[in-house]
Amino acid sequence: MNRTISESTDKDIANKHGDSNVVISVDGVSKKFCRDLKRSLFYGVQDITTDLVGGRRKSEVLRPQEFWALNNVSFQLRRGEALGLVGANGAGKSTLLRIISGLIKPDSGSVRVRGRVAPLIALGAGFNPILTGRENIYANMSILGLSTQEIKEKFDDVVEFAEIHDAIDAPVQTYSSGMAARLGFACAIHIEPEILLIDEVLAVGDIQFKMKCHHRLAQLQENGTAFILVSHNPYNILNVCESAIYLKRGNLVRSDEAEAVIQHYEADLCLAGTSPMSGLIVLPEKSETKSLGLDIISICFKNEQDQLLETLRTGEPAYLCLTCKASRFLDNVNVGIVITSLSGGDQRVLSITSDLDNECLEIYPGKVEIHMQMPYCGLIPGKYNAKVYIRRGVMSLDKYKSFRFAVEPSKTTSRCLFYQPRTWQVVKK
Amino acid sequence: MKNLSNGKTKIANTLGRQKLLLDVTYTPESLLRHPRQLFRQMWYDLLASRELAWRLMVRDISAKYRQSVLGIAWAFIPPIAMAVGFTLASEANIVNVGKTDFPYPAYVMFSTALWQTFVESLNGPVEAVIKAKPMLARVKFPREAVILAKVGEVFFNFMIKLVLIIGLFIWYRISVGWTLIIAPVALIHLIMLGTLVGTLLSPLGVLYQDVQKGLTMVTGFWLFLTPVVYSVPESGLFGFFVQLNPVTPLLVTTRELATTGVISEPVSFWVVSILTWIGLLLTWIAFRIALPYVIERVSS
Repeated sequence: MNRTISESTDKDIANKHGDSNVVISVDGVSKKFCRDLKRSLFYGVQDITTDLVGGRRKSEVLRPQEFWALNNVSFQLRRGEALGLVGANGAGKSTLLRIISGLIKPDSGSVRVRGRVAPLIALGAGFNPILTGRENIYANMSILGLSTQEIKEKFDDVVEFAEIHDAIDAPVQTYSSGMAARLGFACAIHIEPEILLIDEVLAVGDIQFKMKCHHRLAQLQENGTAFILVSHNPYNILNVCESAIYLKRGNLVRSDEAEAVIQHYEADLCLAGTSPMSGLIVLPEKSETKSLGLDIISICFKNEQDQLLETLRTGEPAYLCLTCKASRFLDNVNVGIVITSLSGGDQRVLSITSDLDNECLEIYPGKVEIHMQMPYCGLIPGKYNAKVYIRRGVMSLDKYKSFRFAVEPSKTTSRCLFYQPRTWQVVKK
Repeated sequence: MKNLSNGKTKIANTLGRQKLLLDVTYTPESLLRHPRQLFRQMWYDLLASRELAWRLMVRDISAKYRQSVLGIAWAFIPPIAMAVGFTLASEANIVNVGKTDFPYPAYVMFSTALWQTFVESLNGPVEAVIKAKPMLARVKFPREAVILAKVGEVFFNFMIKLVLIIGLFIWYRISVGWTLIIAPVALIHLIMLGTLVGTLLSPLGVLYQDVQKGLTMVTGFWLFLTPVVYSVPESGLFGFFVQLNPVTPLLVTTRELATTGVISEPVSFWVVSILTWIGLLLTWIAFRIALPYVIERVSS
């Protein structure tokens, strides 16, 4: 409640004052790279020489074997705003962050940055494994821009945050990778800059630590730090950012609110994948020799009126229809379905087996349909992959690993992990 | 809350100096086109890098000696080894080293220590920048700190060698004059020359491995063009090359200031020194300009 009020006030202020709240202004930035190593090094030397004699680099033209890593990207970031940056691997996200940090020069356009930038791009920059954690904290935070006095003030907080009280005076090479990463993260997060660039490093540590990090980042955001967050996990972006931009092969494809951009990104991911989702998979019949007694012929979802569903809808009833061909009588057949979510990094969402539901299926020879009735679909909108298998005891009769289907929204399930059907009532006591 | 109020006050108080840092624009243009801004940025970075240079120096020296058993002894061993080798060779008349102003073993050890310092200051920047590649490629910090840290390390190593040198002077009862006080000036010029060349080569060294290998080879050869194990030749083709060598006047003057007090080549000493200081400034500018191009070719 409080947050939305302050958000809207901030936006009003921004609109009134226009530019004074803008901390990063990226304007028509392009960057080219070369894939061939020797040629790339040669171009490096060429650029240095041209620059040293004060000549113009002709940086808008592509030299042989060069390509545009970033092409005409423009956006603005204001104080306290969090911007998500999504794109496939190689889309130019890290390059954009490096240009904003001032590490490399753009080949066209300009970037204006107001305030201190702390990149969470490399945890533990400046760490020397032989030295102790204590010495490395001083080295690392010094590189990130703090003076010795400031480091002394924050030292205890850093150790506390990283939870390495016992190991602080041991050489870093004796730390586990998790401890080293936590230490790096703790150092970086205590810099308290005006702008924070986070490049896919929110994955360190166990759940408790992750929550601590998210909490700390939220605190920083409330204090007015602007964020740019790069992540492949849409949940990270949706939880933290209001707006996002989508980069595809260096081009800025979409700049919008976070949810719209993520949807666009996921749509592209799935279309770029294997088969389009028609909702029905038909498998070729197996020959007599290959068949183990029961073959899956087709898999689809149908609604209550027995009509084929191309997509499921959240909260609506449906059933899974497995058409099979049996060559003999089989009892104690066990059907299993494992559903993983395709949006949000292959998380297993459901594991269902008919024998754990105390259903022993009996199948007579010929063509049969196995139905799994769902009174309502509890899955939230997105793309899913189902692995369907049929077993009898330990013997696997058939399986199909990549039945892909989509779930469309019909109830509001934003910020939910599943759909909970419910009714409301008020009872007078 | 506490941190926030501290942070805000800090920015307000140092607004003058930090203002430059607080508003930066990156364009594809060459930095040379805005010389005033370039110089302001260079000056600011130099000041900002003092603490960081100290931290890096402490870090590197601690790490180096922590992992070694012989530790500090490594600073003594090369001069002593050289001295033993060449003294034996000279006494066996295998090499003709000429007359030296003070006992030959001391001459060789002192000169070798000076030469060693020069070579360290030459290799230092190249090694340091290559080692700091991961840091440079991921975090923006004043890069002068990397070079300054190495220069500090060279001075530290020299201090250790000084122990050996003082021991030598006492053992061989070499007399020193008042000019000993200004000998460090010549030494500083020697180190600056090495740093100059090293810094100039360091961006290339990151791109091409040939630089480090070539440097090892060149310094080996360079040693023989410098009057370290022999006295300064007066004439001849070889003598001509020795005179052309910029290290010669610096090394010879340092040696002379510490011992005899008579400078034999003041003109060439001053010429080389002034060229070194000017060259250092130009190299600093070139280093700043070249480094972003190098970093973009380096993966992070």
